[in-house]
Formats: sequence, structure tokens, C-alpha cells
Amino acid sequence: MAAETGIIAIGAGIAIGSAALATAWAQKTIGAAAVGAAAENEKMFGKGLIYMVLPETIVLFGLVIAFLLWTKM
Amino acid sequence: MFKPQEMQRTLIIGAKQDLENTIELLHTLEVVHIIDFKPSDADEQLHLGVPTKKASGVSQSLLKLRSSVQMLALERQKQMISEKISEEHIQRDVALKIQDMELSVLSLIETKTRIEEHFRKLDERIHQVQPFASMDVPLEDYQGYDHVTVFTGYVRDLKKLSENLPKITNNYELFTSEADDQMVALFIQKHSGEDAGKLLNECGFTEVKLPEGTGLPKQFIEKWVVQKQELSEKLLQTTKDILEFRKRYAEFILASEEYLTIQVQKAEAPVLFGTTEHSFVIDCWIPKDEIHDVLETLETNMQGSLYIQKIEQKHDDEPPTLLKNPRSVRRFEYLLELYSIPNYRDIDPSFILSLIFPLFFGLMIGDIGYGILLILFGALFMKAFKDSEGFSNIGWYIIIAGVFSSIFGLFLFGDMFGLPFMLVHGAEGETAYSWSTLLGVHIPIPSVIHKMESLGMTQLLVISIIAGYLHLGLGLLIGLIVERKHNKKHAITKIGLLFVLTALALLIFVMADWTIGQWLKPLKGSAVAPFLWDIFIPLVKSGFSLGGLLVPYVSLAFGILGIILIMFVAGGFGLVEVLEVTSHLMSYTRLAAICVAKAAMAFAFNMIGLGLILSGNIIIGILGVILLIFMQLMVFALGALSSGIQAVRLHYVEFFMKFYKGEGLRFNPFGYKRKYTTTE
Repeated sequence: MAAETGIIAIGAGIAIGSAALATAWAQKTIGAAAVGAAAENEKMFGKGLIYMVLPETIVLFGLVIAFLLWTKM
Repeated sequence: MFKPQEMQRTLIIGAKQDLENTIELLHTLEVVHIIDFKPSDADEQLHLGVPTKKASGVSQSLLKLRSSVQMLALERQKQMISEKISEEHIQRDVALKIQDMELSVLSLIETKTRIEEHFRKLDERIHQVQPFASMDVPLEDYQGYDHVTVFTGYVRDLKKLSENLPKITNNYELFTSEADDQMVALFIQKHSGEDAGKLLNECGFTEVKLPEGTGLPKQFIEKWVVQKQELSEKLLQTTKDILEFRKRYAEFILASEEYLTIQVQKAEAPVLFGTTEHSFVIDCWIPKDEIHDVLETLETNMQGSLYIQKIEQKHDDEPPTLLKNPRSVRRFEYLLELYSIPNYRDIDPSFILSLIFPLFFGLMIGDIGYGILLILFGALFMKAFKDSEGFSNIGWYIIIAGVFSSIFGLFLFGDMFGLPFMLVHGAEGETAYSWSTLLGVHIPIPSVIHKMESLGMTQLLVISIIAGYLHLGLGLLIGLIVERKHNKKHAITKIGLLFVLTALALLIFVMADWTIGQWLKPLKGSAVAPFLWDIFIPLVKSGFSLGGLLVPYVSLAFGILGIILIMFVAGGFGLVEVLEVTSHLMSYTRLAAICVAKAAMAFAFNMIGLGLILSGNIIIGILGVILLIFMQLMVFALGALSSGIQAVRLHYVEFFMKFYKGEGLRFNPFGYKRKYTTTE
């Protein structure tokens, strides 16, 4: 039983960890571009912010899966 | 409140002699958005208007004034003005006054530049003569020989030079610097000059040009340094004079600049109009609420000499957007415009934004301690940036969010700074803290939802999904209302998406049955109870099992119906929208995620900090207090930042995408917001 719990915990960790990495990777590129755009034209700030936070949904999927796994522990 | 101000397109036509008076009137009214006249080939009669005669004179004065501002380096924002100056007062001899002022400024600046120039020249000369200062040879002695060549400059290898020179000739004299800078002056017979030059090159010679002048360098450097001293004192005085002058004239400059800007604006207004030889046409948008007043003012003041015609709005017209909201909502228009200015045909979501944005923000923080901190921080922010409209609005959002956060913290989560007021189970291990156990007083504020427990997290997730369902549903409904007239296909897609959304929400409710079931208990015995327990719940719960997951028939029916509707109008491509709405609904789980993540962080820090404080050792205790304050501030800052951004995002991305088009044209009335002058 303990081993099974451990495996589940590792699974949950991988789920949220990899999703967070993917989000970070996407945000890295978008963030740089958004700051560049906002520096050239301040009106782009709002749009830049939206693009910037779009990939955050990815990490949420990871979180939900991790949570569902956690409740099974 | 939910629609921008309605606009009436109006044509104002009149004779040219009435042009200036009309402009004057429209300028004072400040409610007319003039459409730029674009000359077309189709209508050869109508030309672009030309500025009035006053324009060039006024522009010139303004130009002079602005050049003075530039020269004086006057920062407009930093100037305070005691009271508004009447326009009549400024008007008197303004051009003359500006001319006088410009002359004074010019002479002041010229004096300053002259001194600076002189200073710079002295510096340059000192720099030139400096190398010779350490040799006791008057400057005139370096030149004017028939049979002697003189080399002056630096050498790298002085020893080699002095050793090898006698090999060329004995008729030379080598002066070296007293200072240790390898400066030399070599006087040598002319016919040995060439050989000496070669030798010098080998020794790494860099020539230093002989400066003009006579006398001992040391002496006149001393003289110049004294002169420099005097000059810098003069420069200081002149700079002071300029500052004084700027202070004395600041009020006049600001007021007359505003006055002249207004004059130029009026004088150049005809460029926006269409004109014929004897008449003019002003094409404009006027808010429908104001149109009666505008027409009446024009009528009475111009004695009916203007012809005014209201034009029917066409489908492809792009009226400017003027939002009308109550005061409390108006601050949230800024948040909306940060995304995009609403289109004239858009529903104005400012009101919804003003309610739900702080609600989400507050829910994610959900702690009375951080809530009160937020209120204080927001108030400070507003005070610090009271001149900036944008930042003071943001301060206001923070305050409102703080209020919501405190409410949630008090009534839903029952915690302060990540620490619950009381432990319900009491058996969470030795390291569990609460305000009741810490202070030794029983504080009867229960936690309805425990953020750090599995059940609490599930409940939070369900709350998030409910919030998402309501928010997205509202967005789709608004989208349906907007599209119903313009695009039937889009409207039907919205209905389909509403069905799909309902199906998803029902599915999740059934999955989370054991968490929301208890919240319905208070409804038992009420009027809706028979509907809930006899019809709704059995209906939702009847379904089939799919891999251990109960899929309700109702959910399935809604889902299939929605997808069929969407596929019917949008084809296979519509399925993308189904996926989108699914991911958008999931996206609201960030409400729970941030709430829990922040609570977990605070919980961990509290364990560390309180563990140190209660350790019994006084030094460790003090360290613990410092560490705890620092860590709490970190949780607060991170929590506030991420909650704010995520609350904005849920609106900008998930909510607005359902109905909001934006890219509107801001209503920009002809007129001027006076800051320094008044017409009274």
C-alpha cells in the first residue's frame, strides 16, 4: 500500500512539474516579446498581459490531474 | 449602464461669416465629436477648410513660448499653480509679453553658454600647456631657431634615449620633466635632427604639440586656474538667475501656453470641416442626451443662422464610444480600456467587471489579515499616485479587493495571515497552530472551508467551477444578446456553447456530489426542497457508468444537443469552440489553485516562524519574528500580484472572448480641459 501511495505521489509530482515547465517555457518566449511590444507601444500592454498569461492554463491542467491523483492516495 | 452613450450624427451647416462664432460655441460646449472631413473627388464643391487668420500669429507666439519652456527646462507636471488665471487677464498683450520673456530668456541662456564656452576653452588650454608645466622653460624658448631642431613629447624609454644621444652628437640639450611623466624637450643641432628623430621613434616617442603663447607655463596655468574659479562662481550665479526667472514666470508660462493652445485649436478647427466659397459644413457626433441642449444653444446664440440636420445612422458608421456609468463603476472603465476601448455596438462590461473582478481577486486571497493589508496598501498607492489616473484606479481596485478578501477570510475561510482562528478537529498533530491556541482565547470564528485539507480543496475546486460556469454563462448570454441582431449563426453557436457548458458543469457537480451535497442541507424544508430532492437531484444522478465515472443522462443530452447545434451552423470547425469552452471552464480552477497555493505557502512559513518563536530561546525567538514578518510580506506580495493578474486574466481571456469586440474610437469632444485658466 505504501509503495502504491508513493508511486501516486510521484505521478502527481510529475503531472504538475512537467505542466509547470511547459508553461514556463511558453511564457519565456511570450514574455520577452510582450515586453518588447509594450516598450514600442504602450497600448500593447493590455494585450501583452493577455498573451503572457495564456499558457497558465497548461499548469492548471497539471494541477487538476495532480489533485485528482492526490485524492486517491 | 450596459451600453455606451447613444450618438447622433449631425451636420451643422452655416455661412462663412458665422464660422468663428460657431467654433467658439462648440468649443465651450465640449460635447461635439467632430469627424475629420476628407475631400472626395465626387464632390468638387466641398474643399478642406483653411485655418483662420489668427492662426499663424498665435502659433508663432506658442512656438516662442515653447522654445522658452525648452530653454528654461521647465517641467510642466511639477509646477503648482495657486489659482486659475482668467483668460481676459492673459489675453492682454500676451504676444508682447511672450516676446519680452523670450528675449530675457535668450540673454540669460546666452550668458550661461558664453561662460560655459569660456570655461571649456580655459580647460582645453590648461590641458595643452599642462605637459610643459613641469619644465622650467618659457614657451617662447621652444621655437624660433635657425640651426636647432626641437622635439617635445613623451618617451617610453628615457634611459635608452639619454644613453644613445651622445652617439649622434654632443651638441644637444635634453630637458626632462620634474614630474614623473616621461615628458622631454630635446634641443638638437639641425643636421642631427633626422638621426635624433629615428632614435626618438625607437624610444617610443609621442609628440606633444607646442601651445601658443609666451612665458613660463607654470605661471599661466596658475592664472588660468584662478580664472576658472571665478567663472564657475559666475556660472553658479547665472544658473541661479535662470532658476529664479523660471520660478517667477512659471505661472505665466503655463497659463499663457494653455490659452494659446486653445486659441490655436480654435483657429485651426476649420481644417476639420468641409467648406465651399461662402459656407462650411461640420460633420459630427453628438451624444443623444446632449443633443437637445446643443441645438438650443446654437439656435439661440446664432439667431437661427445655422442649418442643422440629423443624419440617420448607417450600418458601417463608426460612432465614437462614450461610456456612461455611475461614479463607483467609472474607475473600472480604466481596466476595461487597458484591454481595448469598447466598440460603439459592444455591451459595456464595466459594471460586471467592477463586481466580479474584486470578488475573484478577494476569493483568491481569502484571508482577513492580507485583506486589511491590501486595503492599507491600496490607500497608500492611491495617495502616492494621486496625479496619475491609471495608478490611482489600480489603488482603488486593490482596496475593493481587500474588502472582499476580508469578507471571505472572516466568513468562509476563517483565517488571518494563513493561520486559522480555531482548529476544528484539534488533532492535527503537535505542530498545528491557530489563533485560539496561540492567544489562549477561544475565538469563535469557524473555517467553513479548510484550504489545507483534501475536502476543502475539493470544495474550492467546485466553487471555482461554479464561478466559471456562471461567469462564462453570463459572457455567452451577453454574446447571444449582441449577436442576435447581427449574426444569427454566431448567436446559435453561443446557445450551443451554453448547452455544452451546462453539460460539463453538471458532469463535474455529479463527480463532486459528496462535497456540494452538504451545502444544500439548509435548503431542506424550504419551498424549493421538493424540486431539488424529488426532481433535480434524481434527474442529474441518473446516468450510466463509464470507467467508474457516472455520466448523467442530462449531461449527455445537453452535450450532444449543444454539439449538434454548433456543428449545424459552424460545421466541424465549431468543435474547436467546444474544446475552447471546456478549457476555459477548467481555467477557473486557478481560483482554487492560487487560493490553496498561497495558503500552503503561508502555512509552511508560519510553521517555521512560529516554531522558532516558541522555541524558548530569546535570540532564536527574535530571529523568528523578523523571519516571519519577512516571509509573511513575501506571501502577501506574491499573493496579491498573482491574484490580481489572474483575476484580470479571467476577464480578459475567458470572459471577454465570449462577447467583447473592443477597438472602439474614444469619444473626443472638441474643446479643452482647462487646468490653469478660466473664462470666468
